[in-house]
Amino acid sequence: MKTGLLFSQLLNGLATGMLYALMGIGLSIITGVLNIPNFAHGALFALGAYLLYTVIQLVGNFWLALLLAPLGVGLLGILIEYGGIRPLYKAGHDYQLLLTFGLSLIITEGIIIVWSPVGMSQLPPPLLRGGVDLGITFYPKYRLFVMVAATLLVFGAWLFLEKTRYGAIMRAGIEDKEMVALLGIDIHRLFTAAFALGCVLAGIAGALTAPIRGLNPWMGVDMLGIAFVVVALAGLGNLLGSIVAGLLVGLAQSLVALVWPEASVAVIFAVMAAVLLVRPQGLFGIR
Amino acid sequence: MTKAWLAILAAVVLLPLVVRHAIATEIWIFAIFGLGLNLLMGYTGLLSFGQATFFGSAAYVAGYLLKYYGVNVFLALGIGVVVGAVSAAAVGYLCVQRSGLYFIMLTFALNQMFYFTAYQWTTVTGGEDGMPGIPRPSALGLDIHRPLAYYAAVALLFLLSLWIMKRIVESPLGKILQAIRENELRAEALGYNVPRMKLAAFVVGGAYSGLAGVLYAMLFGIVPLESIGFVFSGNVVFATLIGGSGSLYGPVIGSFVFIWLSESVSTMWARWPLLLGVAFVIVVLFFRGGVVEAWARFWAWRAARRAPAAVRIDAPR
Repeated sequence: MKTGLLFSQLLNGLATGMLYALMGIGLSIITGVLNIPNFAHGALFALGAYLLYTVIQLVGNFWLALLLAPLGVGLLGILIEYGGIRPLYKAGHDYQLLLTFGLSLIITEGIIIVWSPVGMSQLPPPLLRGGVDLGITFYPKYRLFVMVAATLLVFGAWLFLEKTRYGAIMRAGIEDKEMVALLGIDIHRLFTAAFALGCVLAGIAGALTAPIRGLNPWMGVDMLGIAFVVVALAGLGNLLGSIVAGLLVGLAQSLVALVWPEASVAVIFAVMAAVLLVRPQGLFGIR
Repeated sequence: MTKAWLAILAAVVLLPLVVRHAIATEIWIFAIFGLGLNLLMGYTGLLSFGQATFFGSAAYVAGYLLKYYGVNVFLALGIGVVVGAVSAAAVGYLCVQRSGLYFIMLTFALNQMFYFTAYQWTTVTGGEDGMPGIPRPSALGLDIHRPLAYYAAVALLFLLSLWIMKRIVESPLGKILQAIRENELRAEALGYNVPRMKLAAFVVGGAYSGLAGVLYAMLFGIVPLESIGFVFSGNVVFATLIGGSGSLYGPVIGSFVFIWLSESVSTMWARWPLLLGVAFVIVVLFFRGGVVEAWARFWAWRAARRAPAAVRIDAPR
């Protein structure tokens, strides 16, 4: 019984850890390529969950919703980049921060107005309801699906960034924007694409989370902090680092939840503080 | 006595005649909070998105001692300043080793750690309900329970804080911090210990936040959970920016604008954070540079309109 509980919490930790990695990678791409602090990342995560809910209400198909919700978030991302962030590239981090913070307030309040300030729940698709017997413990099918899906998405992001031409341009953008522009690449299109991609990843993470944790307008607030933790530990643009950091805080959170549930969110930030105390430069030494 | 100080003194005297005493008091408290952030943001170039950590921590600790141990006002204020400075030293120690965007994200993440601790530690902090019943005991025989008396005490502390901050930014330390803002590498090459100087700025900023936190708790008689939340951290960044982070008096003007704005929109609509968010976006997109610069631009525009026709034709299109 005790080992069964421990085992399922370990699995929970892996599943949430991969979701954290996904959030971290999205934020890492935005922060790295555009060189802006994106305080709207948590609100975009929440929006992904709510769009999933609405598309399911409208067409009744989970899989279509899982595809459309992140695209909707990505579309909003294009608008935000074009109308808000582009005029601010030369303005300094303080104004960029204020813009994204203002946008996160607008998105969160927009969710309250359009949907509801009260939390809602979302069932997994019929195929993924119930659990499977893993021998040691009985585990919900949907969480296993999330674990696999998030891992595949992280792998897909790695393939895109490491193996495709566009991914190479994006990595080059993180390293040296001026050089990329000098090579004749339209830097503005690169910025828009990177911001949209980061938004899509946040939207997917939100949509995948909805059937596990339910929906509420502030669901992105702790996620924003966690995405920052992942980026601060991993370093910008470091995919492997993001996975390690995501799993580290995900496992720490779910294991602490076993013995001291009240501290399970605060421990994420405590783990970060502890790592930075020993390695101020983060896990992989990028300043 | 410069013109700025005369204007501030006039504002201190006139403000309680114009607005409710609680709002007038809140303006000066928020200005103290902004002065602390401005030393980091305006003078050192360190964008901290975690000032509520120190504000809230000081408010909780001093509020607890006031409520359960009946400590006197001066001790409570002193403890608040110390808690603000110590928590800032701890947070700053981790943050100043990284720069740029990492620094901003770390201040926010550590703010979240304090927030979730306060949120869950309900036996002490009251969690979501906040910590109510903070008394405002008399000090030196003065009954500061009366709103106007408390206003006067806060305004006096604000003037003292402003004077000390003026001395700090004009001191050698202040000049070194500005050198770090302008060119960190050069400051380091000149032999200054940059991380230690940044930490010093952090600690002073934290002490200011702590003072503001205790005054805030005593003003409303409660420490709300929001006082340690990231929205509070964002609000003080907004107030400082809208006033103009480049000058000593920017946060003071910003505090006026912000408290006035939030007081007026919060009575209009339950979803007022939406309006606040819209205000942030509008300011960022159209009024960068803050009130100080907008004022200058307005007079330049007036002057251009009144200029003789010949001059206007010569002006480039």
